[in-house]
Amino acid sequence: MSQPTADKANRVLLRLQNVGKTFQMGEVAVEALSDVSLDVYAGEFLVMVGPSGSGKTTILNLVGGLDSVTAGRVWFEDREITAFTPAELTRYRRETVGFIFQFYNLVPNLTACENVMVSTELSRDPMDVVEALRLVDMEDRMDHFPSQLSGGEQQRVAIARALAKKPTLLLCDEPTGSLDFATGKRVLRTLLDLKQQLGKTVVLITHNSAIAQMADRVVRLRSGQVVELHDNPQPLPPEEVVW
Amino acid sequence: MKTLDRKLLREVRGHLGMLLAVTSIIAVGVTCLVTMVSAYMNLAEAKQLYYAQCRMADFSIELKKVPLAELAPLAAMPEVAELRSRIQHSVTVDLPGVIEPISGQIYSLPDQRRPVIDDIVIRQGSYFTDRRDNEVIVNEKFAKAHRLRPGLWIRMLLNNRQQELFIVGTAISSEFVYLIGPGAIVPDDKRFGVFYMKRTYAEETFDFEGSANQVLGRLSAAAGGDSREVLRRAEDMLSSYGVFTTTPLEDQPSNKFLTQEIQGLKSFAVIIPCMFLAVAALVMNVLLGRLAQQQRIVVGTLKALGYSDLQIFRHFLKFGLIVGIAGGLIGCGLGWWLAKLLTALYGIFYQFPELHNRLHWSVLAVGMLVSAGCAALGSLRGSRAVLRLHPAEAMRPSPPRRGGAILIERIGWLWRSLGSGWRMVLRNVSRSRMRTAACIFAAAMGACVLVNGFMMQLSLGFLIDFQFQRIMRSDIDLTFNDERGRDALAEAARLPGVNRAEPTLNVACTFINGWRRKKGSITGLLSDATMTIPRDIEGRRLRIPAHGIMMSRQLAKSLGIERGDLVGVEPIKGQRRLCSVPVVEISDSYLGTAVYADIQYLSRLVDEEFAISGVQLAVDRNPVHRAALYRELKRLPAVQAVSSRADMIRNLEDILKTQSIFIAMLVLFAGIVFFGSILNASLVSLAERQREVATLRVLGYGPWQIGSLLFRESMITTILGTLLGMPLGYLMTLAIAAEYASDLFRLPVVTSPGLWILTMVLAIVFGLITHLFVQRTINKMDWLDALKMQE
Repeated sequence: MSQPTADKANRVLLRLQNVGKTFQMGEVAVEALSDVSLDVYAGEFLVMVGPSGSGKTTILNLVGGLDSVTAGRVWFEDREITAFTPAELTRYRRETVGFIFQFYNLVPNLTACENVMVSTELSRDPMDVVEALRLVDMEDRMDHFPSQLSGGEQQRVAIARALAKKPTLLLCDEPTGSLDFATGKRVLRTLLDLKQQLGKTVVLITHNSAIAQMADRVVRLRSGQVVELHDNPQPLPPEEVVW
Repeated sequence: MKTLDRKLLREVRGHLGMLLAVTSIIAVGVTCLVTMVSAYMNLAEAKQLYYAQCRMADFSIELKKVPLAELAPLAAMPEVAELRSRIQHSVTVDLPGVIEPISGQIYSLPDQRRPVIDDIVIRQGSYFTDRRDNEVIVNEKFAKAHRLRPGLWIRMLLNNRQQELFIVGTAISSEFVYLIGPGAIVPDDKRFGVFYMKRTYAEETFDFEGSANQVLGRLSAAAGGDSREVLRRAEDMLSSYGVFTTTPLEDQPSNKFLTQEIQGLKSFAVIIPCMFLAVAALVMNVLLGRLAQQQRIVVGTLKALGYSDLQIFRHFLKFGLIVGIAGGLIGCGLGWWLAKLLTALYGIFYQFPELHNRLHWSVLAVGMLVSAGCAALGSLRGSRAVLRLHPAEAMRPSPPRRGGAILIERIGWLWRSLGSGWRMVLRNVSRSRMRTAACIFAAAMGACVLVNGFMMQLSLGFLIDFQFQRIMRSDIDLTFNDERGRDALAEAARLPGVNRAEPTLNVACTFINGWRRKKGSITGLLSDATMTIPRDIEGRRLRIPAHGIMMSRQLAKSLGIERGDLVGVEPIKGQRRLCSVPVVEISDSYLGTAVYADIQYLSRLVDEEFAISGVQLAVDRNPVHRAALYRELKRLPAVQAVSSRADMIRNLEDILKTQSIFIAMLVLFAGIVFFGSILNASLVSLAERQREVATLRVLGYGPWQIGSLLFRESMITTILGTLLGMPLGYLMTLAIAAEYASDLFRLPVVTSPGLWILTMVLAIVFGLITHLFVQRTINKMDWLDALKMQE
């Protein structure tokens, strides 16, 4: 495992230390993560790749405060997430993290605009809803219900929703997994813009290794363990990524 | 409006069917609560006001005749705040155009108006004037029933003399809120009246100068609200004046009926709404549970976005509250309206100066609170499972439902004989435990209410049959104003249209067993009497013993006496010799506390050779003969009261008709409970299994075949619940009978196979009707869409 370089190491945003996670599936215990240690730096675009069942989503859920560890510790800046109370976890999710899911997870009976509002209403200093939708180029479709939007459009609404509460950290779970090639690239461009223009830290997980080409750093996972971590000195723009 | 609230409103629109089902159950519960509590408060408040207005007596003492001066020691007792004496007498009234003689009771009132104990409230006309002595005030309902009004004259047989009295007014009094004639259990406005006359005129007419035959009193604070001790001492003081009865307020017939009704209402105002509301909370729980499950991913996403458990719970709670508040509002409105009807119905039987359905804000507030609370409880339990999940877990598809063999699968031969449809149905019923439990509970409560309603109807029918066809078989009963000899019986037998006449002797007495004392009377009958036939609980005829007495079970129980025991009997007439009498037989009846003896044996007990105080007549049905008989009876001064069995039966049957309205309402409420719970369970089940249904459709199942699966599921829970609810209904009727049991009246607890069958048939019919709605949903379901759905 390579060590972080000096310029990137200026500020660690997230730190996982010997993290393990076991799921109890009926009578069988499934070890999803074992002894994972990893740092995520502020402002970087980190891509985690690995096959299904390698533990990508589990890591994302743990750092996002959606799930609890069975071993190890997780820090966000100087605060230990794994020691948070449920109320602190809620506040952490509300103020710090923006989630983007593979299946968008939009509330079906709310319009695009209302889906974003669900998020902004929670935030003390949210982005303007229309502004958030404009950032993902969805302001024209803001009164449409999810069932009236294509997959790519739904995902962009989901990004706007994550973005609108101005999170420090964007966690993206297979954001292009359900999208066609062109739409997927468009979504990736949006995410990269957010990183570059708004300085967001983006952690993206995917089983599509090609997407790793646009990352600042790449983490490769297999069977619940980090098997490779490397820098990508010359990230490609999404338009040049091919899969 | 917050975005989540918008989501909520759209979901409400999307689940309208299910929500209506739950709302209707809550509404039924709140309706019952508001109706019964309002009616209870209306009656209780009216009673309190009326008693205060008329200065209701705390006790009364009936005696043969007491000089007024002899009442001074009683009035001086520190426990007695106030005393009033009056003259009361039975009368027969002869009204033009009314063929039968009418019985009544006359009471004296001061010549000049002043506040007295057991005062009257003038409803029409005025109090007595100075213009004439023979003025009378008639009780309002009797006056209305016969179109009597101030300014008219009325003819009465007073102390063996026909007299004309001038009506100055109509009135009511708190002592006759529930006015029943002797031996009756329901009011009969047409055939029994109460009349008030001037004290001086009453003294003159009944030869009571300076004396009285009834004493009324109010207790002072020193008595501590208990009149029994005062009455015991009063009885000793006045024993030489022939004390017939001493009656504390709690035993006063009108008060007893009224208090029992109010008490009964109070109990039911708790029990019945609780049953419905418990069903509503359970059904709500199932619905919200499903809704939360269905929104598992949304809940997970909201949590991931930073919504707290409390915020999400509040969201689900609002959903519940919409139902709770809607149900509460409907229930309050409907309850208020039904309370108005019920109160008006009470107004037919119970007479108050004012009995209105007041708007009891506190009751409405409780109704709203209870319905919102029950919805909140349902929401809490329903959404708890999903809220407990970690957001990450919530966003994963829910794990497949618990599998494994169900209990019935262990019966291999039975399971193997079942088709796949039945297997699916049985597994679903067995695995959706909460839903199945909610449905069974709802059906049980519905069946319980149905059985209770039917049993009450059956009970009253049985009572009429047992009491007025099997025990009492005479057509007309005559009561004499004094004891007579054999010649009176012979004279009665010669009256027109009379086929047979049998003598009766009624002797008021005190029964004593150790420390237990009970006032009552013994009825003497011929040993081979055919017009009063005492019976046991099985309806078997019991023979009047030649020696000793036959006591009703109710009285024997309260005296702690069993068959073969000796009981002390102290007659209130004759030598008043206390004698020990064997209780040879225990009889059963549902009215009063009759004690029978051979008429000759009883005559000897009161030192007579053969005395009769009344006659029972069997008369032919020829109306001409009947009219001639009535004409004759009106002329006989010895006849104090005439009662006709047919009239009593008619009055009771009128009550049965009124009761039918309530039963219809109960059937409707039970129907709503069945409908609401089955509809909700079926729609929830359908929503849960959309993919399964879609797959079955792909396999070639038609909508009716799918419907039959759901129908079988709902029928299993309905039938199981109904089977459980039926004995519950029986137990509830037992409890009601116990609650209402008194010396005056007991409700028989009877069933018939038809009752059980009808309940089951109704439950199945409710199930079928509900299924039609479910089937419509299945027919309209877009199953291709369901197949694409990601769960």
